[in-house]
This record gives sequence, structure tokens and C-alpha cells, in this order.
Amino acid sequence: MSINYLSAPNLTLGYENSIVIDDLELSLDDSKDYQIIGGNGAGKSTLLNFISNNFHGNIFDSTVELKKVRILEISSDFTLIENLSLLENCMYFTKNTISEKDVYKALDEYEITPFKNDLLHKFSSGMIKRSELAIAMLINPDVLCIDEPLNYLDKKGSEILAESLKKRSNDGRSTILSSQEPLNLFIRKCETIDLNV
Amino acid sequence: MFSNNYLIKKEILVEYRNNTSLFLITPTMAVLILIFPILSENRFVVDNDFFIINQLLFLIVFTTLFSIRSPLNQNKLLRELNFGNIRRKDFFIYKTISEFIIFFPQALILLALFSVFTNTGIQNNMLYFLISIVFFSINALMVNIIFQMFTSFSNRFVQFILMVPVFMSLSFFVAPIWLGINPNLTNIYLLMYLGVTLVIFSYTNWFLERD
Repeated sequence: MSINYLSAPNLTLGYENSIVIDDLELSLDDSKDYQIIGGNGAGKSTLLNFISNNFHGNIFDSTVELKKVRILEISSDFTLIENLSLLENCMYFTKNTISEKDVYKALDEYEITPFKNDLLHKFSSGMIKRSELAIAMLINPDVLCIDEPLNYLDKKGSEILAESLKKRSNDGRSTILSSQEPLNLFIRKCETIDLNV
Repeated sequence: MFSNNYLIKKEILVEYRNNTSLFLITPTMAVLILIFPILSENRFVVDNDFFIINQLLFLIVFTTLFSIRSPLNQNKLLRELNFGNIRRKDFFIYKTISEFIIFFPQALILLALFSVFTNTGIQNNMLYFLISIVFFSINALMVNIIFQMFTSFSNRFVQFILMVPVFMSLSFFVAPIWLGINPNLTNIYLLMYLGVTLVIFSYTNWFLERD
């Protein structure tokens, strides 16, 4: 059974006195995939932060109805902890609830197992992005939001990501991607939230 | 009991690997302080006069050490907690425990060295004294958590300038208990310290859990 976890008929978001997203009608369902598209400054990251409860600006006179689902965001700023190794990050963010075997399986999938004991501050941006994606797939949230999903990823990384998104779709999990142009990463039909209009 | 807790483990590992870790700085400074008077006086027994100024310097040096902490960016922290689905309440509790594990031994090292170098033994019941150190550590780490958050805008010098007076005033509570006031006054001092600790603990809890 699908859940409409966020409903806002007149969403207006901004920072201090400036409005970034004006009167947007938003309704999100946890059985569908979405892509947010828009140019620079259109409010893609703002909207994604709002959906994933990481928004620190102002909500202007909007009616918002929320239902509790597990939403995880991979933003353009990295979230993992630099002074921990990849394996320690996996254990920390999964709260030690996932077996080492499953952790290694996810790391293998993203081809980062050889670096499991390296501290993250030695990683390149692409490696950190792969690590965040691997941990996100381990956590397997109801809704996964990814800001600019292909940033920092090489061709192989993009292919692995597409494969992971395919698995999520097959499991009936929802994914929200934000980018400047539409991306062909979903296997099922997705809804588009166009912030350019 | 807490050794396998993911939050405590993370906090201690991050502290251990921090360039300005207390685990590294306190022993280094302790060795420097041990060697300095011996080198400067060229002898192993030092006059009391030598420490009149040093007693104060010593306290300031260690207060400074406690003030050097990595800033916590609140937005980044909230993003981290959301990513790991960690409740703010859990974060506060385990952050407090891990900071206590880091702070308490450092405070004991400080006081043991202070006692040795200034030749002032503890003139009171050891239990009372230890309780006051526990209060000192809890207050110090709570103040640290708050300062780590709202000084993230600035550098460590500003952090240090703001924190040193707070730490000095917290340590003033310990001094009378150390110097041996009568048992009734000791109880009053401990009760006052407990009150201060509860207020600071509640404020920090609110500060971290507020929206």
C-alpha cells in the first residue's frame, strides 16, 4: 500500500526574506519515483533538503502535511565523517545493525572494498560519493533523495548507480533525483517536478 | 557496557584522530611542564617562589587545552543525524558520555600534576573531591558542546577567548573543596555545584534538541 507522505498545495520556501520556491503544488507518494529539474538557483537543492528534513530556511505561509517515512538524502555536500574509515562509517550510519557480510556485499557492488580501512579524508570526491551511495543502499530507506546524482561519478560509477536504482524500483522503494536536465536512470516511469516553469 | 555503542565509538575515534586531540596534547604539555622548571632552574628541587607565578600559568595552560576543540557545525550535524536516523536525544546522551570519557582522565591528570608541582595536597575527603571533579568535567563538557556549536563560524582563538573565563569560574568551585573547608561548607559547595551542573545540563539538552 502506498503512502502519500508529503502534501503541500502552496509550498513557498526561501532564505531570510528572499523566496526561492514560490507557490509550488507538491504531492509525494512513496511508491513513485520523481525527478526534480531546474537550472542554477531554481531551488532544486532547497526542495530536496525540504523533502528530506534538512532544510534550514523559511517556510512562508504554506500548508504542509507530513507522514513519517524514512527519508535519506545524499546532498552535494558530503555527509560522511572524514576522520573515520569507510568501514567505521558504514557501522556508524547503520548503527551496527547490519552484518559485516552485507556491508562487504554493498562495498563490493560499488567496488570500494579495497579501501574499507582507509580514512575518508584520503578519498577522492568520486570515492566519497560511491561510499555514500553504498551506505544509502545498505540502509535502504523508504525514500532516497539524491542531489545531482551523477556529479563526481565516472562512467562505471554511473552504471552501478543505475543498477542500484533499478533494484530499488523493483523493491517498490521511491527515489527522488534532482538535476539540471532529465536523467535516464529510472526503469519505471517517473514524475517530473519542473522548477524552470 | 558502552564500548560497542556506535555513537561513543565514533566520538572517541574522531577525538583520537583529531590533530588537536586532548589525548595527544595533554600528555605532551604535561611533559613540557615537567621538564621546563628543571631545565630553567637546572636542578630537580624547585623553590616555592618559582611557582607563585607558575601556579597561575599552569592553570591557564590546562584551561586552554580544554578550550581547544573542533567546532561542530550544527547544519552538518543535523544532516549527519538525519542520514543515520539518529535521534537528537540519543546523540546528546552518548555525546555526553563520550566527552566525559575524554575529559575526566584529563582533569585528573591536570589536578595530579598541579598537586605535585605546587606541593598542595588535597585537604579534604577524597570522595568529596572526586565528586567535585565529576561535576567539573560534566560542566566543562556541556559548555564545550555549546561553544563547539555556536563558535563554528569562527576560529579557535575566539573559541578560546570565550571559553577560558567560563572554565576558570567552573574550576573556582573545586578550589575550596581541595583546600579543605569544613565538612558542612563542603556539602554546601557540592550542592551549589550540583545545582549549576543541572542548570547547564538542562540548557545544553534544550540547545541541542531545539528546532
